[in-house]
Amino acid sequence: MFSNKFNIWFLSSLLISLLVIIPILTVSLSFFEDTSRYFDILKKTFLFEYIFNSLSLLVGVLILTFFLGVGSAYVVSFYKFPGVNFFKWALILSFAIPPYIYAYSLFAFFDNYGTAFTILKTLFGDGEYNKSIPKFDGMFGLILSISFSLYAYVYILARSSFLYQSQNLIDLGRNLGFSKFKSFYSIILPAARPAIVAGLSLVAMETLAEFGAVDFFSVNTLTTGIYNAWITFDDLAFANRISFFLLLFIFILFLTENLSRKKAKYHLDTRGGFKQKEKIKLSGTNSFFAFLFCFLLFFLSFLFPLGQMLYWTIKFPENFFDINVINLLLNTLYLVGLSSLVLIMFALISNYGNRVSRNKTLNFLSTLSISGYAIPGVILAVAFITFIAWFDENIIKSLGFLSIKKLFIGSILGLVIVYFVRFYSLAFNGIKSGYEKINVSVDESAYLLGYSKRKTFMNIHVPYLRNSLLFVVILISLEIIRELPITLVLRPFNFETFATTAYISASEDMLEAAAVPSLFLILIAAFFITITSNYILKENNG
Amino acid sequence: MKKMTISALILSLFASSFAIANEVNIFNARHYKADAELYSKFTTATGIKVNLINGKAGALEKRMIEEGADSAADLYITADAGRCGAFKAKGMTQSGLVSSTIKSSVPKSFRTTHWVGVAKRARIVYYSPERVSGAELSGLTYESLADPKWKGRIAIRASSNIYNKSLVASLVKNNGKKAAGEWAKGVVANMARDPKGNDRAQIMAVAAGEADIAVANTYYLALMLSGNKGPEQQEAAKKVKAFFPNQNDRGTHMNISCAALVKGAPNKTNAIALVDFLLSPEAQEHFTNNTFEFPMIAGVSPSPLVVNSLGLDFKQDLTTSVASYGAKQADALEVMTAAGWK
Amino acid sequence: MANNFLEINNVDFKAGGKTKVKNVSFSVQNEGDIICLLGPSGIGKTTILRTIAGLEKINNGSIIINNKTISSKKIHIEPEDRNISLAFQDNSLFPHYNVEKNILIGTEKKNKKKTKINAKEIVEFLNLKKILNKYPHEISAGEAQRSSLARALVSNPDLLLLDEPLSNVDQSFKEEIQVELKQLLSKSKITTIIVTHDSYEAFYLGSKCGIILNKQLKQFDDPYNVYHFPNSVEVVNFLNRGILIPAKVTSENSLENNDLGTIKGNFVKHYPNGSEVKLLLQPEDLEHDDKSNLKLEVVDRKFRGTNFIYTLKTPSELQIPVFVHSHHIHQHEIDEKFGIKRPIHIDHIVCF
Repeated sequence: MFSNKFNIWFLSSLLISLLVIIPILTVSLSFFEDTSRYFDILKKTFLFEYIFNSLSLLVGVLILTFFLGVGSAYVVSFYKFPGVNFFKWALILSFAIPPYIYAYSLFAFFDNYGTAFTILKTLFGDGEYNKSIPKFDGMFGLILSISFSLYAYVYILARSSFLYQSQNLIDLGRNLGFSKFKSFYSIILPAARPAIVAGLSLVAMETLAEFGAVDFFSVNTLTTGIYNAWITFDDLAFANRISFFLLLFIFILFLTENLSRKKAKYHLDTRGGFKQKEKIKLSGTNSFFAFLFCFLLFFLSFLFPLGQMLYWTIKFPENFFDINVINLLLNTLYLVGLSSLVLIMFALISNYGNRVSRNKTLNFLSTLSISGYAIPGVILAVAFITFIAWFDENIIKSLGFLSIKKLFIGSILGLVIVYFVRFYSLAFNGIKSGYEKINVSVDESAYLLGYSKRKTFMNIHVPYLRNSLLFVVILISLEIIRELPITLVLRPFNFETFATTAYISASEDMLEAAAVPSLFLILIAAFFITITSNYILKENNG
Repeated sequence: MKKMTISALILSLFASSFAIANEVNIFNARHYKADAELYSKFTTATGIKVNLINGKAGALEKRMIEEGADSAADLYITADAGRCGAFKAKGMTQSGLVSSTIKSSVPKSFRTTHWVGVAKRARIVYYSPERVSGAELSGLTYESLADPKWKGRIAIRASSNIYNKSLVASLVKNNGKKAAGEWAKGVVANMARDPKGNDRAQIMAVAAGEADIAVANTYYLALMLSGNKGPEQQEAAKKVKAFFPNQNDRGTHMNISCAALVKGAPNKTNAIALVDFLLSPEAQEHFTNNTFEFPMIAGVSPSPLVVNSLGLDFKQDLTTSVASYGAKQADALEVMTAAGWK
Repeated sequence: MANNFLEINNVDFKAGGKTKVKNVSFSVQNEGDIICLLGPSGIGKTTILRTIAGLEKINNGSIIINNKTISSKKIHIEPEDRNISLAFQDNSLFPHYNVEKNILIGTEKKNKKKTKINAKEIVEFLNLKKILNKYPHEISAGEAQRSSLARALVSNPDLLLLDEPLSNVDQSFKEEIQVELKQLLSKSKITTIIVTHDSYEAFYLGSKCGIILNKQLKQFDDPYNVYHFPNSVEVVNFLNRGILIPAKVTSENSLENNDLGTIKGNFVKHYPNGSEVKLLLQPEDLEHDDKSNLKLEVVDRKFRGTNFIYTLKTPSELQIPVFVHSHHIHQHEIDEKFGIKRPIHIDHIVCF
């Protein structure tokens, strides 16, 4: 039994889980360390502010993404109106806009003498427009930026849940004599609740982890608080203490998300009793309003930031020649390729191991190892450096070895490790959901038909998982293309990505220069989304 | 083939850590295009490769501290004396940033043996000539910004901004912590709006009529006037004028962009060579014409834009050592926070 | 004993660490025999098949096929090396192949014997022609089940294991398939173990039936014996045909029940005179006779097409089932009296 347990599956799962546990442990242990005394008084006020801001941000974003995401999903899944097939797809393009680029666009447009001013001036001639142009910055701007960038999580999950709602359910509402609104409110919405909660939890996690936009609008949340405590106050213990509170928050969200996802699965079963829905054709005014809603959402979430960045790129063309687009592109693709490769390899091994060994410890370890996604990149990066520094000082050097710091800090290796911890759940869950569609008895049939384990894996699993693998690679790519805090803290010399270039320009009072890298980032991300949109939006679960 | 590609990818993970060459490694918190151009000129002239890691100052410092003695960093270049001072106070720099060029060209108040100023900027007051009279301005000092006559009229950045920290540190140094605390309360009471945005945003707030006076660095107005930021900002810049405070006493608050020699720097000689290069007339001229800073060395003139719009003939504060900005930084932040300065 | 085709000796069948069926022994004598395992769902019938196929391991006893041990505490031949086919109850078709390719994979199997089975014929009788080009997610559960069955059949295994092979197949179609399946299996001499919860299916297909109840193989015998000579109360209850009524043995060939009087017949097992026993009374044991003076009250009547099953209440509140041919002249309504022919004679008297 003992020797049975320590096979390759077990060891690799153990390794992955250890990688993820280290940051959590580092954070939790330093919770009890003394923080430096000097800023004690400041900290008390700050901590309260951080928590208050994080909560306000969270509530604001959740309310807005709920209305945008569920509203748009409802309209495109239940009604027919001009452009519905276009919007169905176009609404996920907002994924290409990271919250920080949305924030730059918002600021660039509404700022004094910004784009709005230029437009008004061009249209109506000189005038004192600045005072009458609303300013979307601070907390309000932040809520808008994050919501328009992330509502697609809710949109995609709610939509797929609506799609699998059988016509029977809607007929039931009619049969009971419900109005459309009542049907939506008391039948359609509750039936989609697990999917919507899962989408909102993802939004919540991303919101708490958001760094770029929060930093840009100088709103102090728990996440930027951690960064500031670490950097400005030089107080790692305090940073870790804030992290602890944040992790507590996130832990609750993580549980909610996982529980709802499990429930949400029931909706995907289409066998038997499912009756394809008839979309209701809207006419006249209603059709116009549905179109307007979708168009506005598409415009605000994608065309607006894209347009602003494009406008600036054209307006300040010299910035285009200042950055080495090819180099940034290669760097970005290099990170994407390397991380995808490592992530997919381990996720495949771990999933396959879970499948063939059906071992409970293994299962627990893999559940643990996907929790890295819930931890904000800033915390991961800080904890990684702290851990490496500690490990180097206390273990490596005391054993008389050469320092390993350079190997991990400021190297591609370190970057890939932390990306790995953060994005492992994407790879793992992506492949897992592919695997879940193949009954275990399929493998067993293959064995019984004389296939070896290897042949089963190569001839049955890999071809079937091909779509899932592609999807996972795209998801990882999208995340890494827009990833900011980890790259910022850990990247090596002379190494920039579109995201870091945009961030640095924006943070150094050269927002115009952020337009070019932002534009490229959006275009590449949009390209990736477009080639996988069929997978994301597929109506048939087959 | 596929396997080879994969192994090459994996090998490359480690490769970046072991590059050894004739080089100098800079942790760079100044991200001007002009700087990058200067670095490549340096490489052409000397054959020394310049490796850059760009980032915000705080994050860069943090990383050097965590990397400790193993850090590859040679030079830390940042746009504030307070940062260099605080970094030195943490024991992260080393003495030895000395050369004949440095000694002969940089005034003593703008250097130590650990770090050296390479360009200057002043933090001054901008005003709207339409709404602020010459009489109101006459004799304006930083101290008098707390005067109730400015109630609801001042635009200034957040307390977390390093330029403000250094400005307030100079006030702590000159007037004491208590007086600085009273002053901070007065300024907060006079603010036209909650602090937000960067230096340019403060100037534009005056142009847009949100505030009557603003505190910002010198080179921003020149930048806006240059048209590099578009005709709107050029137009906005024309609506404001610059004023140099404290002309009747110690002079206008000066700050520097500085280069610090990092402890354990593996390429010390190359680092000093680079600093020497940055202090050459050619490099200094490049700074003044592109970043619109004031030259550090004698014999180079500021950009005509700066001369015309700001007037060069002002008294710089050369008595308050810029080294004190780092020393009093914590006090500065404390008095601002206590005053409710966001 | 030595030359049985398949032998299962004292095996505990386990799944997920839990023992499902304990200490099972049975054998299949000849190649080409069909064995049916009957039992309620969840009892572990599937586990037995999975273990024989090599998908689960055993810790005691042995499984021997053709004089070769394939499973024991020490030996475990991997499933891919056994040449045993298992058609799963749930959909186990390869999702990325169409039905045709799925079925043909069965014929690719290595170490196969000379072909006895024609894939075309199987596709024909399982009525799969129309769906050959479809993918597993595009077909119904019944179609998927028939496809899996086809795949298992064409692989021409030494031993074929079928787990509820027709549970999702339409009733109308089921009997037709049963007939053809039986012919095909006996013609091609494929030894088969079929798991089912449908006793009619088991009695029809199996040359031997095993009844699994309460973690045990309760009875392993030919269908006639299982039906007529159940060896325990549990088997009687499971087959759910007759009832047990109290009786007292009065002689070598008779017993006495308070409500029905004397019952005559041949005892399957000897009981001394005066023993209090429970007598198995099956619906076909009693005969209807309007003229009889033994009249009982009708409490229920089920129409079963060719016959009625009346439920009668005795004075001591026993409820007795009686079979009546549906062509019988008149029907008895509930609450009416119903005559039973005396003397009562039962061919095989089964008592417990």
